[in-house]
Amino acid sequence: MSPISDPGFLLTILTQAVEREPGFWNWAFHWFSQEIVVAVIGLLLIIAFVTINAIGLIYAELKIAGHIQRRPATMEVGWHGFLQPVMDAAKLLVKEAMTPTAVNRPLFLAAPVIVFLPVLISFIVLPFSEKLIVRDLNLGLLLIFAFSALNVIGILIAGWASNNKYSLLGALRSVSQNIAYEIPILLSAMSVVVMANSLKMSELVAAQDKIWFFIIQPLAAIIFFVATTAETNRLPFDIPEAEGELVAGFHSEYSGMRFALFFLAEYSNMFIVSAVFVTLFLGGWHGPILPGLIWFLLKVYILVFIVIVARWTFPRLRFDQLMTLAWKVLIPLSLANLLVTALVIKLVR
Amino acid sequence: MDAFLLKDYFFILLFLLVGIGFGAVPLILSVLISPKTIGRDTLKTYESGMIPFGSAWVQFGVSYYLFALIFLAFDVDVLYLFPVLLAYGKDFVIRDFVELCIFVGILAFAIIYAWRKGVFDWKELTG
Repeated sequence: MSPISDPGFLLTILTQAVEREPGFWNWAFHWFSQEIVVAVIGLLLIIAFVTINAIGLIYAELKIAGHIQRRPATMEVGWHGFLQPVMDAAKLLVKEAMTPTAVNRPLFLAAPVIVFLPVLISFIVLPFSEKLIVRDLNLGLLLIFAFSALNVIGILIAGWASNNKYSLLGALRSVSQNIAYEIPILLSAMSVVVMANSLKMSELVAAQDKIWFFIIQPLAAIIFFVATTAETNRLPFDIPEAEGELVAGFHSEYSGMRFALFFLAEYSNMFIVSAVFVTLFLGGWHGPILPGLIWFLLKVYILVFIVIVARWTFPRLRFDQLMTLAWKVLIPLSLANLLVTALVIKLVR
Repeated sequence: MDAFLLKDYFFILLFLLVGIGFGAVPLILSVLISPKTIGRDTLKTYESGMIPFGSAWVQFGVSYYLFALIFLAFDVDVLYLFPVLLAYGKDFVIRDFVELCIFVGILAFAIIYAWRKGVFDWKELTG
């Protein structure tokens, strides 16, 4: 029974509080103090990590793109251009934040914040190692799925509120793509959940201490990988912001720091989906010799590397091919995979 | 258990609020320190350098709305599978599997129906 749906429970808490009135604050402090310390430390670490991760990934993207195209990429600022993303961020901060007159002002201003919101919340449940997890919620996996849906709403708001044809088209494409690929993500994740019988991130990892789910569930893993690449709007699925046809898609009208927030959210989401993939299929923190944290980050960044390389090697899909891939291939395959998994579980046990 | 859940909600609420702050602070900061140059066309909607032609808030044929309808039917049902899967396979009862098959089968019919109706074939919208 959740406290929100159960007023009686809140009443009990309040009654307890009144009964202990003399030491109420003492009691409340005692009740929450440990959690507050964990939460504040977790928050600081996560905010630092999100920033450093984005800077590192932008640099990696620049460099990998450069070397794939046989040019050295950024070389000027810092050692091999390492400070380029930092300078870019500083530049975006002092850029003029323009709000065109035609936009719907409150929604236009709210959209970047809404798009960024799911990032921090998803980090609550990411299991960096056995101990290093901010809060191991019972419904951890579901929390990530639920809040990443907020991302779609943010994109739709950004596109519609801009009152720009490119933005609107980009947002519509983005939403239809995101909802199409959300189902294969859920279904392929379910194939793992049914084996681990848990949505708790730590238990999902613990279920793989003998054998990674990637080996038992290769099809689900591939579907999950393809669908999450589409969900983060990365090439070859980056139709929402297809530069050649839609300028910058849903964030055409955003400049300066507002654009930077979309960018930050995109790169953080890349990390998050890769981290969820590692948790579900690649055994999370499990690995020999090295500590769990290093294994986890190593696996995640190898995946991110593959995603970046894919961006610079594959051509963009046409929109109908994209939708067909989701509805005619990925969803039926993941449904079948779920049923076969369920049958095999019955046969094995 | 309930107190434990309340603490979970506390974490989510805290991260939600800090998330809003983390997004809003740089935005406000940039408004404070960025230059403000308002020219004649600065605040016009961007349309590749052309003078904007009307508003974007017009009615037009969105080819994707059928996808959205199927998604609504599908995604909500898929969520019902999560509690099933958490309890699945705890005991050996073949009935579980049969019931799962029926549920997923009905879901699959939605796809097959839409497929046969040609929803997934790309149609040029004219007029």
